[in-house]
Order: sequence, then C-alpha cells, then structure tokens
Amino acid sequence: MSALVFSTWSAVSPYGVGSEPFRTGIQAGRSAIGALDRAAFPGPFTEGALVPDFNAADHIGRKGTRTMDRVTGIAVTAVGLLLADGGPELTSRPEETGLVLGTGSGSVQSIMDFTRDSLVGERPYHVDPARFPNTVMNRAAGQSAIWHGIKGPNTTIAGGRLTGLTALSYAARLHRGGHCARVLCGAAEEYSEQRAWLEWHGRDGDDRTSPLGEGGAVFLLETAEDARAAGRRVRARLLTTRFRAFAEPSDARAALAECVRDALKQAGARAGEVRVVAPAETGGHLAGTEEAAIGDVLGSAGPRLLGSRALLGDTSAATAGLQLAAVLSLLDDEETPPGALALVTAVDRDGTAGCALLAAATNEES
Amino acid sequence: MNDNDQWPRQVVITGLGLVTSIGLGAEEFLAGLRAGRSGAKPITAFDTSGFAHSYGCEVADFDPAEWIRTFQPEELGRATQFSVAAANMAVADAGIGAEELRGRRTMVSVGTTDAESRDLDLLVGEQLDKGPEHLTPGIARRAHASRLSTSIVRELGLTDVEALTIPTACAAGNYAIGSGYDAIRAGDVDVALCGGADAVCRKTFAGFYRLGTIAPEVCQPFDRDRKGILTGEGAGILMMESLESARARGARIYAEVLGYGLTCDAHHPVAPDQDSLARCMALAHRNAGITEADVDFISAHGTGTKANDVTEAGAIRQVFDTPPPTVSIKSMVGHSMGAASALGSAACALAIAEGFIPPTINHRETDPECGLDCVPNKARPAELTVVQNNALAFAGNNAVLILGRHREAA
Repeated sequence: MSALVFSTWSAVSPYGVGSEPFRTGIQAGRSAIGALDRAAFPGPFTEGALVPDFNAADHIGRKGTRTMDRVTGIAVTAVGLLLADGGPELTSRPEETGLVLGTGSGSVQSIMDFTRDSLVGERPYHVDPARFPNTVMNRAAGQSAIWHGIKGPNTTIAGGRLTGLTALSYAARLHRGGHCARVLCGAAEEYSEQRAWLEWHGRDGDDRTSPLGEGGAVFLLETAEDARAAGRRVRARLLTTRFRAFAEPSDARAALAECVRDALKQAGARAGEVRVVAPAETGGHLAGTEEAAIGDVLGSAGPRLLGSRALLGDTSAATAGLQLAAVLSLLDDEETPPGALALVTAVDRDGTAGCALLAAATNEES
Repeated sequence: MNDNDQWPRQVVITGLGLVTSIGLGAEEFLAGLRAGRSGAKPITAFDTSGFAHSYGCEVADFDPAEWIRTFQPEELGRATQFSVAAANMAVADAGIGAEELRGRRTMVSVGTTDAESRDLDLLVGEQLDKGPEHLTPGIARRAHASRLSTSIVRELGLTDVEALTIPTACAAGNYAIGSGYDAIRAGDVDVALCGGADAVCRKTFAGFYRLGTIAPEVCQPFDRDRKGILTGEGAGILMMESLESARARGARIYAEVLGYGLTCDAHHPVAPDQDSLARCMALAHRNAGITEADVDFISAHGTGTKANDVTEAGAIRQVFDTPPPTVSIKSMVGHSMGAASALGSAACALAIAEGFIPPTINHRETDPECGLDCVPNKARPAELTVVQNNALAFAGNNAVLILGRHREAA
C-alpha cells in the first residue's frame, strides 16, 4: 500500500485556469464543449472543449513563452498554480521534489510543423532551432522543471488513455524507491489541428466524431506527515493502482474487473465502501466496457458514476489525470464521509486496463 | 511472490534483445562491440537531398516479419517494430517459455525520444501530397508513443502486466530500466522487460543538423577533432527478474542491477549542466550502495559533441578522484536517442559477463579538455565488478544506472 496522500492540486481545463473553476464545473455537471474557433483550429471537428482564451503568458509572464507550445504552456501553468497553492516550503528543497508528467506523444502539432518546415522550406534545415525542443516529448515536463526550478527526478510517461494512472503508479514507486521525498504528478494534453486529424483518422468509425478536449491536472503526492508539517490539507490517500492487459476487446471487461478486485483486496477494502467511480468512458468498440466491469464488481446499486467525457470531451492522454481531479473535487464535497473510497478506471484500445483506488481523508488526516 | 525472497529483492538481467546498426541479437551485438564495428553509412530513411552531409547509423537488413509473430509488420511503426523484435529476442535469450512468462506478473517499460515521429514525418508528407483528409488510417493509429510498450504486451500475450512508455528523450532507456528495477525490488512484479527504442527520422536529423551538431561521417567521442553526433536507431530490451526467480529456473545471469539515480538540471532546454550530472552520479552510487572507487568503467553518454563530452568529463572528474576508463559506444552505434542508454546498459551487462571493456572507435587524439582514458579503438580485456552507464537528455534530464557482477555466495 502506498504511503502517499494527495494534498495540493491544480487543473487547467475547459472550465478555466485553476482547481476552483474545475471543482465548480464538475460539481455542477456543466458541459464545457462548444463551437470551435475554426480560424484558429481548422480540421475535422466543429466542436471541442478548449481551455477558454488560453495564453500561457497571461499566467506565467511574457518572457520566454513565445516559443512555448500549447501543451507546454498548459503544463507549466498547472505546475505553477500548484506550487503557489502549496506555499514556499514546497520549493525549499528542489532536489528532493520529483515531477512526473503524462503525455500522448508530446505535441504532435510541434513535431509535424517542424517536419513540414523541413519539407517545404528552401533548404531542408531551414527549421527554427528555438522550437526544436518542442518536438521532443519530454518538453512539457522539462520546461515545467526549468521554469519552476524543480531538480528532482523528471519523468515523462505515455500510456494512452491510462496515462494519468500509469504516471501515478510510476510516481508512487519513485517515491518508495527513495528517489524523491515528494512528487508532483499529473498529465497534460493540448487541442491542436494535427491531434484532431490523427484522432479522426485513427478512431473507430462510430467514435470518430466525438469532440476532443484538452487540459492538464497536477497533484502533489507526499507523506501525510509532510503535508501536516507544512500546513497542507490532505484530500485523499492513494491506496493502490492495478493494471492488466487484454488481447481481444471482449476480454476488456474481465480485465478491468480483475484490476478492481485486486485493488480492493490489496487495500483490504470491501466493494460496498466505494462511493464514487470515475471511468474514462473510452468509446468505439470499448464503449460501455468500464461501466459493465464496475457493475460486475461493485453491484448495480453501487457507487455514484462520475463521467466527465460529456463535459470535457475526449482529452486523450489527460483523461485519467482529469478523472483524478474530478474525484478529488467530489471528495471535497461536505457530504462525502471521511475515509470513503473512490475509484478511477480506464481502458485503452491498445489493450490495456487499469485503476487507482483512493480513500477520502479521514478526520485525523484532514 | 516467493516468501523465501530476501527484501528488498535483488534484481538480475537474464536476457538481452538487441536491434542495432552493428548487429541483431546479443551475440552479433557482442561481436560488434569486441571488434569495434561501425554502423555509420548514408541515411536511407528519408530523402536527404539539400543536406551537405547525411550519414547516420541505421539498422540495415532488418526484416520485421522475421522477428515479429503476432502482428503484421505494417500494423507497427518502425520504432515499435524494433521494440517488439528486441523483446522477443530478450525473452528467447532468457530461455523462458511464453506460457511461463504469461504466468508471471510483469512490467513492460520502454523509453524513447521520438516514439513514432517517423510515422508523423510520413503523415506530413501525405498531407502535403493529398491534403489532411486523406491520411492512411493505419499509420495514424500506430503513431502513438504508448504503442512501444503495449505492442510488446500484445506480441507476448501478457495479461497480468503493467505497460508504460517513458518518453524522457535520450536518457529514457536508463529511466525505463530503473522503473523495472524498483518494481521488481519492491515485489510489485516478478519480471520486467525494459529498455528503449527509436527510429531515424527527418524531424530529429533536421533539428540536430540545424543546431550544427551532426558529424559529417564519423562520431568521435572525446577526440580533439570530434564533430558531433551521428543519428542512429534501434532497440535494446533487457529481461530483468528477481534473483530468486532466476535461480529457480536456473537462468544464466549477465549482471545484477545495483541501482540508479535521476536528476533534473532545471536550467536549460538543450545545454547540459556539470553539477547536476555529478549529483546524479553520486545519487546513483548511493542508491546502489557503492562508492565511486568501486566503479571499474563508465559507459558514457559520450555523444561526440563539443558541449556534451567536455561537460560529462568534467562531471566525472568532479565525482571520481581517479576516473576509471570511460568509453562511448556511440562511436560504433551512433546516437540511437531513446534506445541509446538501453544499448549502453546491454553493452555493460555483456562487458561484465564476458570480461572486457568495449572501445571508443574512430579515436585519434584525446581532447585534453576531456582527459579520460576512453579505451581507444580496441576492446580491452578486464575483470569487471561494478560498471556505470550514463545518460543525459534534452530538458536537463539525467539518469545514471549502476550494474554489477553477480556472484553466488559460496
């Protein structure tokens, strides 16, 4: 079982910049999907869920933001918000603080723009050297560290729709392995024309037109003792994560059910204690899989299902990160009993399933 | 999990899968390292017209159908083909049956710089030719970083498995091996298939070329006349397991993973930082429970650029009173990006098992500013106990891995 708790967190989402707009949006169940600005974002979609009027310079200053791409701006902003909220103690030991950030394939827009410049320019090397780092997939994590002076382990994780869960598992292990005293963990994804085309061409037929979203969420994972000593409120405890794989889509339901059973068993918890479940709502040929698996393990009269795809669109690699943020938003609700369990699930078309089990802070912890 | 295990568990390397420009498979790679073979040749991955020079270290003669069973080759991008092929080789080399492996709880962790950026290059070409409405769906589907690890899972039919891709650029191989080490050590998994993979692509070549860091024909790490990197490609996947698991099935043990360290410079997007790299080495030594005096040789990041080699040598001298022999296999296999430190780790494991230090080839005169014994041009026989594998990446991400000879207690 993990020794880590979730304390401070932040989100940059289609609800706006900050955890507060996110919390209110999720609690109200308000959809942030709207018409796309087709001049700024041409491509196959007419609707999407974008961070409204997002411009990194508005949040982190103008200097150095000119060559920063959108996903890097989202990540640097989200990490900055978290650090501001966590207080000065949080940045006092930069060598002992890790940063684990989930991504799809970095910014496919930055990568493809760079190749395009090489192909259409007068010379194939007429590319902008200042934008070359944007084409490397650890840019968002690395730039967040540079911007905010975080000198501990800095890792970028890709796991498709499971990315936020995979990053969480990796971050917990990094801490347990003694590589950092605490770790910022999250995931980010940008809306871009190129991502839109890749999704459009790569998805199953019936899932093709489902609108895309973007955003990022970052969580501070630390020991309860450290959180208390620094005066940061504990929101939840990370109990465990579990992963499995399936060869055929028809096996996805059983694979996820097995993950959930294992997670409960490992945490010594009963199915009835789970109050909230946030599924990734993976579509296409896997649509409905998670809900079925959750029903198999937790029963039909089980927990509240907290879906956010209808509100935030398909946020790809940020999906599970934003699901975690949604769960924390709900656990903050005064009606949630202390110690109540919450589950985040995801399945991916590449044949992976996973879950994370959290417990709301007990009265002693918070 | 075995109740007889010692905690934390010891982690050993029992299988190596290698797709490299100097040979396919552990045996060929080993022969290449011993002989000081060069993988440099003209790049064929993309149209190189307009570049004044365009040598690289591509994997020639790789027929994916020969190495991959479950997938049709066109279902996978080139980097994923490499990673899946290398995983198959590692499993075969470890002598573990497919059924037996499926019964173990496993981690699959693959590092990368560019993942399937080569496919993204292809898609840009399609967009320019036909418009964005007409992309090949199969290429759009396979062009995801996560595929590098999930395709290994699929190929091997694993179900009790945690799969992750670690796109932490050119240090990613060491990151991935470290993640498997921590997972086995703590008892989360029994087996881990870890390493890195990348494929040569226009995007990365053009970027390094523009930065002026591509050498015309040869890569000469630590040489006074070094002119930069040669971009390369390939994959290295290490089969790692707990010592108890290896013993129980009578597996050959190449080496033990003793520990690793990670640091972030938090300083500059592309320029390395000497102090931060030195800190990373010290952390790795502490994590592995060794001191600097124990290290018998260093497999350097050693890219062959002016900046890297001087900074890395400086960091080594900062940490080591007497630096041990320090070599760069990039002189032979080029800079295979996310695969680089996985190939370096595999070279270290082979060096320990076979008793030699691989050479730094293309070497004429050591740069006095580097001032290291880089084992020039010819492999050197050596009894090795502890070795160190360095990796640096864009964004100031450093990862240092420590491997050791495994000795059975008498």
